[in-house]
Amino acid sequence: MTRGRRRQTGTAYLFLAPGLLLFAAFRVYPLLEGLRLSFTNARLGRASYQFLGLANYTRLADDTRFHVSLWNTAFYTVASTLPILAVPLVLALALNRGALRTVLRGVFFFPFTLSVVTVGLAWLWLLDPVVGPFNYYLRALGVPARSWLADPATAMWAIIATTVWWVTGYYLVIYLAGLQDIPRELYEAAALDGAGGWRTFRSITLPLLRPVLLFVVVTHVIGSFQIFGQVFVLTSGGPGDATRTVVQHLYETAFQNFFQFGAASAMAWVLFAIIMVFSILQFRLLRGHTEY
Amino acid sequence: MAQRPVSRRTFLAGAAAAATATAWPRPGAAQSKATITYWNGLTGADGKVMDELIERFTRETGIRVEQQRLPWADLYPKLQVSVPAGEGPDLALIHTVEVPHFANDGVLEAIDEATATGKGFRGDGYLPATWQGGTFQGKRYSLPLDVPQHLLYLNVKVMKEAGLVGADGKPKVPAGRDELVTMAKKIARGDTFGFAIGTSNPGRYTWGFHNLLWQNGANIYTPDLKRAGVSEPAALEVAEFWAGLGGPLGIAPPANANCRDAFIAGRLGMWIAGSWNFTGLREAKVDFAAAPVPRLFKQPVVWSMPHQYAFPKPKSADRNRREAAWTHVRWLTDHVAEWTLKAGQVSASRKAHGDPRVTGDPVLKTLLGQAPNWQVGQPTPKWVAAENLTRPVIESIYTGQKPAKAAMEDLARQINALPD
Repeated sequence: MTRGRRRQTGTAYLFLAPGLLLFAAFRVYPLLEGLRLSFTNARLGRASYQFLGLANYTRLADDTRFHVSLWNTAFYTVASTLPILAVPLVLALALNRGALRTVLRGVFFFPFTLSVVTVGLAWLWLLDPVVGPFNYYLRALGVPARSWLADPATAMWAIIATTVWWVTGYYLVIYLAGLQDIPRELYEAAALDGAGGWRTFRSITLPLLRPVLLFVVVTHVIGSFQIFGQVFVLTSGGPGDATRTVVQHLYETAFQNFFQFGAASAMAWVLFAIIMVFSILQFRLLRGHTEY
Repeated sequence: MAQRPVSRRTFLAGAAAAATATAWPRPGAAQSKATITYWNGLTGADGKVMDELIERFTRETGIRVEQQRLPWADLYPKLQVSVPAGEGPDLALIHTVEVPHFANDGVLEAIDEATATGKGFRGDGYLPATWQGGTFQGKRYSLPLDVPQHLLYLNVKVMKEAGLVGADGKPKVPAGRDELVTMAKKIARGDTFGFAIGTSNPGRYTWGFHNLLWQNGANIYTPDLKRAGVSEPAALEVAEFWAGLGGPLGIAPPANANCRDAFIAGRLGMWIAGSWNFTGLREAKVDFAAAPVPRLFKQPVVWSMPHQYAFPKPKSADRNRREAAWTHVRWLTDHVAEWTLKAGQVSASRKAHGDPRVTGDPVLKTLLGQAPNWQVGQPTPKWVAAENLTRPVIESIYTGQKPAKAAMEDLARQINALPD
């Protein structure tokens, strides 16, 4: 490397230094500290702890509640991905043009401006089996009321519906940006060739939205593995363990069941590894060049 | 008169004297200006009452109180991590069952009896269960304020519609489990329910489950606190009844119903719930009657969970702040009748029990009448963790996901596996 080049690189690192320092202090250090704690029996608020080796990790193999929470998290991730991909896409296609599109975009984006607690409490009331409006109208229509959140068969689906309602606006905006990027000439050429709506969507819109789809899938899957707020407010993991996710279980281990930070850190690292593997897989599967 | 010029030496001496005079602590001066931090979880209507009382306290004593109020479930982890870091409050209000684990982890400062007595706090001034609840392994860590407890609420309108009122128009009170079920079945139809225990999420309401366990002579741990007692036959009998409530008996709302809203909306007839609900029911103008918790099993035990004042360990001792915190505890204990009347929480101190305003209130009178039957959680640092493990298990029983026996045996295994 020439002297001038070295100086240039040094200057670049100098500019990056503040950000890197903050990243190291508030991201890397806690991450590594968590890794260290995962090999101990550390408890929140206790100064002393012992090194346990891999005991926290091997114990996870026998922790049936952890297994259930892993399964629930996987189920939520798989079951919610299609609606999260499809609902905002359909809305984006509908709102890409039209007179009321600006107003409707705002309307659909509004739920995303609410905090997860607000959304959870609102849906908790909407789905209340005794005084909730959802069941009230079902009864008025002659349909028997259901305990959506207390029935193991429907509880996770209710959480998925709540999440779709909440985040649709966000993904809608992302899709709209992707749709605006597709050159109009391609549609005009397709129309001249006599391509119908479905053919145009399949051959132009969908392939050219691939980077956006990749972004949506990857961010949604990462977010799904970390789902907590909706579950915490709506069901606290219930009924029984029917909607207990990994982060809910981790939270309970760290903050409710005897402040077991060592054991909770081990769970967090297992979750981290799973997310890492899935993210790499997704990038590999969905990677591809977009050519116009 | 001609003014004499002030020399530099005189000026400096005078300034030093003035500075010394103002800096020297006068008796009471420092305390009157003290500001104490006070953490509590009074997020309901009782929080407003506490605000009013604290405002009066500050007016009268000059001591400012900075409150931090957050849900109990968030308050406790915060205390657990803040106090060792030296960032804890001067004073905290906690539940009795939290005392053992906080004491065990060195979060709370021990209160020696001589200091407590010197400040006017003596065991004979309190109901025994509440006073005893402030100790762990022979040492005192907290002083009781009040006694949140269970109560049976009867919705007069619903009971009337079901024909469950006496000749005097007052709702009938069930004498035992069979009668309660029979009466509840008369009420239950469509989306109206006969009986519930718990405010929201009755399926996972551990305090209600504890109440029934205690009534049947069972508990979370065996009496020697060495192993779980939840798979004992008496506990299994309670679990079977719990399963019945959620399903076969057909009298109680679903696991995640909001029973308080259902009671206010006239969709629930008989409701065992916390005493903290009654002021809200009055505000909502619900026509209700209150009765002691019925004896559903062997003994008429009433679940209670006294609030306790505790002094978290400070990083470094600050005598003025500690004295100011003591002054606050003393002041509120002296004014506990007002707390009882406005917040609806019966005082732990006997002082307010003879107050005619308290004895004249039918609900408070009922709550006081339950005093001989109060029971609290077991004094083990693992109690709260065991309670958290209990929650999803009893919900799985209530919703019929798991048979009672298998679920309770699994719970016993989980409790026994808790680390020391």
